[in-house]
Amino acid sequence: MNEEIDEYDIYHQDFTTVSEWEVFIARIEEILGEWRLAKSSIPKSAVEYTKKWITKTEEILFLGQKYTLSYHTLDFSRSSDDSEGSEEKPLMTHIHNGLWEATSSFMDDDDGSQFPVSNWFGLKRFLVLYPSFPLVDGSLIKLVMSSANIAFANVDCGVPFFVKIREHWQHTYLGFYEDNQYKISFDTIHLKRISNQCSHLSGLVSLFKSKIASPVALDAVVVSTKFSYELKDFEAFTWKKTTHSNEFLSIDGFDVKKLIELPFGSEKNPTSSVLLNAIWPKFRECTIVESSTFSDIDPLMAPTWTITLKMREKINCQLSDIIQKMMNLLEDNNLLMDTLGLSRSLGLVNPLHKITEAPITISKLVKAAIGQGRNTSEFKGPIADDLLMPLLYYIFPDAVEDDTFNYTEQLEVEFKQDSSEHKLCSYVKTSPEDGLVWRLSVTAARLYDAGGLAYLAHLWYEFAQELQYRWERRILVPGVAAGIPNARTCLLHQKLQLLNCCIKRALEGSSSFAGNSSEDEFFDCTDDEDGEEQPLWDRPAGRLNRLGEAMLKNGAPLFVPRTQDPAPKTEDQLEEDAELMVRLGDDAKASELRARMMSASLLSDMEAFKAANPGAELCDFVQWYSPRDWKPEGGGSLGDRMLLPGNPWVEAWSVARPVPASRQRRLFDETREAEQVLHFLRSRTVSGAAELLLPAILKAGAIKAIEEGVTSGTNSVGGVDQRRTYEIAARDLYEAEKEACRALCMRTVLGSSVEGKPLDSSGRARVLHATGGSLPAPVRKEFTLRVKDAVAPQVMRAALAADMTIVGAFTERIVCL
Amino acid sequence: MDCVAKLKILLLGESGVGKSSIILAFTKGDYQAQFPATIGVDYNCKVVDVNGVKVKLGIWDTAGQERYRTLTSSFYRDAHGAILVYDVSEPKTLAKLNEWVEELQVYTTNKNIVCLVVGNKIDKPRAVTREQGQAFAQKHRMLFIESSAKTQEGINLAFEELTQKVIYLYMHLCCYIELNSLFV
Ligand SMILES: Nc1nc2c(ncn2[C@@H]2O[C@H](COP(=O)(O)OP(=O)(O)OP(=O)(O)O)[C@@H](O)[C@H]2O)c(=O)[nH]1
Ligand SMILES: [Mg+2]
Repeated sequence: MNEEIDEYDIYHQDFTTVSEWEVFIARIEEILGEWRLAKSSIPKSAVEYTKKWITKTEEILFLGQKYTLSYHTLDFSRSSDDSEGSEEKPLMTHIHNGLWEATSSFMDDDDGSQFPVSNWFGLKRFLVLYPSFPLVDGSLIKLVMSSANIAFANVDCGVPFFVKIREHWQHTYLGFYEDNQYKISFDTIHLKRISNQCSHLSGLVSLFKSKIASPVALDAVVVSTKFSYELKDFEAFTWKKTTHSNEFLSIDGFDVKKLIELPFGSEKNPTSSVLLNAIWPKFRECTIVESSTFSDIDPLMAPTWTITLKMREKINCQLSDIIQKMMNLLEDNNLLMDTLGLSRSLGLVNPLHKITEAPITISKLVKAAIGQGRNTSEFKGPIADDLLMPLLYYIFPDAVEDDTFNYTEQLEVEFKQDSSEHKLCSYVKTSPEDGLVWRLSVTAARLYDAGGLAYLAHLWYEFAQELQYRWERRILVPGVAAGIPNARTCLLHQKLQLLNCCIKRALEGSSSFAGNSSEDEFFDCTDDEDGEEQPLWDRPAGRLNRLGEAMLKNGAPLFVPRTQDPAPKTEDQLEEDAELMVRLGDDAKASELRARMMSASLLSDMEAFKAANPGAELCDFVQWYSPRDWKPEGGGSLGDRMLLPGNPWVEAWSVARPVPASRQRRLFDETREAEQVLHFLRSRTVSGAAELLLPAILKAGAIKAIEEGVTSGTNSVGGVDQRRTYEIAARDLYEAEKEACRALCMRTVLGSSVEGKPLDSSGRARVLHATGGSLPAPVRKEFTLRVKDAVAPQVMRAALAADMTIVGAFTERIVCL
Repeated sequence: MDCVAKLKILLLGESGVGKSSIILAFTKGDYQAQFPATIGVDYNCKVVDVNGVKVKLGIWDTAGQERYRTLTSSFYRDAHGAILVYDVSEPKTLAKLNEWVEELQVYTTNKNIVCLVVGNKIDKPRAVTREQGQAFAQKHRMLFIESSAKTQEGINLAFEELTQKVIYLYMHLCCYIELNSLFV
């Protein structure tokens, strides 16, 4: 081939650069030594290789230029069962075996390695010296090659060594490997145009034979061939666009459904080409003739057909676009309501302004219902009513008779505790699927995509207005999981759970004023035999039930009182509480302060207990509350822990007055909490609102992707903080979406067949039918020529497309004198 | 102090098993025969050295009484480790640990929480064998240790093992998770 190197020539000739040259060689040797690549350090028995490449790199300066030396190896596990049994073979044999096996694949297959040489020559490990400049000068190439040779020999290297030459875009590498018996040279020729002599099989065969030193029997050369045909403009291979456009904006009587679904996939055809490969895996060189004038090769007769798809580098994915737009909002720290010019009137600018004095408190939905939709003084946002109203009815479906969009009764939040499979985005906090948060978030993303920030702000404004209205009228927010805020759901969902807790509490409160509570007390009294004899102030109140057979110290039955539940809190509030506790420090004083902070509910329970059990003592309370600190001796006495002087329990008991829970100061002030939730929502910055909306958008996106056939999750488990988690999720979704686009293309093009695998007869018929019965001229031809001569396997491969690449691996016996 | 990592550790278990005493023994090397029952939740911290790395443990002590469950469970979020304590002289306290495990599963938001079962008060006549405690830990795939806050036996080891395991786990997860989530 064209680059013949005789190292001894140079070794004796070029003394001008000797010192720098020596340094260069020494540096290479040093690195090879560091990486432990001597033949003696490389496993010689059979190992099990994975598909993962491991790479090490070092930089070297030589004659003022930078070279990168890199080592690439497939990760492997020493096969555990027969590691002792399997015999050791010389590394050369392993390389020859790999080379032979590689001839069953093709040069354009991808083995995941950074350089094509591993795939061309079936290498499991190799070294590449990569100059930072195009290495085209012949004498410099020789100098570098001989340096590599010397270093290789000096460390007795066990890994094939390649030098990248020519222009960077050209895949041209010169390589070698030797031991004390054989030497392999790995050569590459790359020509920008196809030379006539090598454009067909017969020419290549003669070139191959001329390269092999030992004589070869005429018919011994085995050939495999792949001819590739580009399929385009055929009906079956054109891209059918899947979803969406922003049409709903102009059409009147538009379809809500269009706005509430996330788009998915690519709008443009993501394939850059579809190749049909006609493959002859193996034939003797003499059985088929292909010369410049004549060809036996008919793709229709090829034993194997496969299809390969090439995707565009950058695919525009619609879901990821929308998500990215929302992610970009995380940079915007202006108040969202400023977008509409409303922060002043909503009292968000002046903190002294009370939120409740906001001028507009009646919800849009209510106005629509009572027919005064067009009040002139009312705020008018950018979204037209005929678009806005259906969306609001979709988010708050209980505001309208029509029940197309009602939420399901039971909104469950699914938590897989220790599912070993990784679901897409499982690390993002969720909220009930198709619940209110979900609908709001998806709609917000679609509106923002369609109409910009003003649209998003308008929706947010209407959302907050409706919540305000619901709080004032004590109407529960639909589409939210029942119960106290669940820290495993996203913050927006927790806030709505808290608001519902407030509304519920307010409803209970007002109904108990209507008579329930006095009934309670009345019931309590009659239930209690001793009640009548007791003076009014000492009448028991707020009893729930008897505690089994338990008795007070004074002989009366012990009643469990009605108690107040601790205040429900959202995770940001809990975080604040925890921070406050940490900030107090960790000395005894701090501990006491914390106990006092924590005592509110203890005191409330003690008061309720005293009210339900007149005449009770601390030990009676402890019998119910902390049974392990109660001793039955003498009708009940306190455990040692409770007798400590200055004990907070004793202190709390001494200040507790008998007050039933219903008349105690509320541990949970629903009015304050509700107003805080509403203020929290209104006063979000753009980034704050995006942060609240993103979890459900990401989750909905993941569900969409799974619906579209994405199966694999990733190993991600989220990031350091929320933002980082969103970034990771967005990246995972983008990968998933790209993969899904690809899978979709596969399906349309391949039907039930698999990419790269032989088509069955119906698959072949389909393709042939789509192409109208005949194939165009091939865009690429590839030949692999191989023979085992007296020395070793000899291999040459050629890929002929617009340009031409010929590579060869030829082994010679080293003649020792 | 130049700590590299900060961990949140929870102590759970029935009232009176010695959670607060264990923390006192660990953080101050002290023991009080009588210690007031914890009200709600308390906080302590201690800096420890794990393989030459300074780690700050934020230790959250909880009250064992039934009534405090709702309050205390709200502090479980994002804990890296949990110590489940029972009293070897009181078999009921081990049986009750089942409830605490469930509680923990419901309220923790960290899937990779590391749990350690501690059988405390081994200075007292025992009514629970070591095997019974081991079986419990094994069933739930947790670490196990026996200790006495009174004699200090096993106390430091308990915290060391837990801390090391957490750090080790996060080191191994670090290709997936960002290790920084632990580090300050
Ligand atoms: N003999 C002995 N007694 C102990 C030991 N540890 C704790 N105690 C005693 O057990 C009682 C309860 O200990 P605490 O540490 O307050 O128990 P706790 O688990 O914090 O209880 P709550 O705060 O109510 O949940 C105290 O009187 C301690 O002195 C121990 O190792 N040996
Ligand atoms: Mg305690």
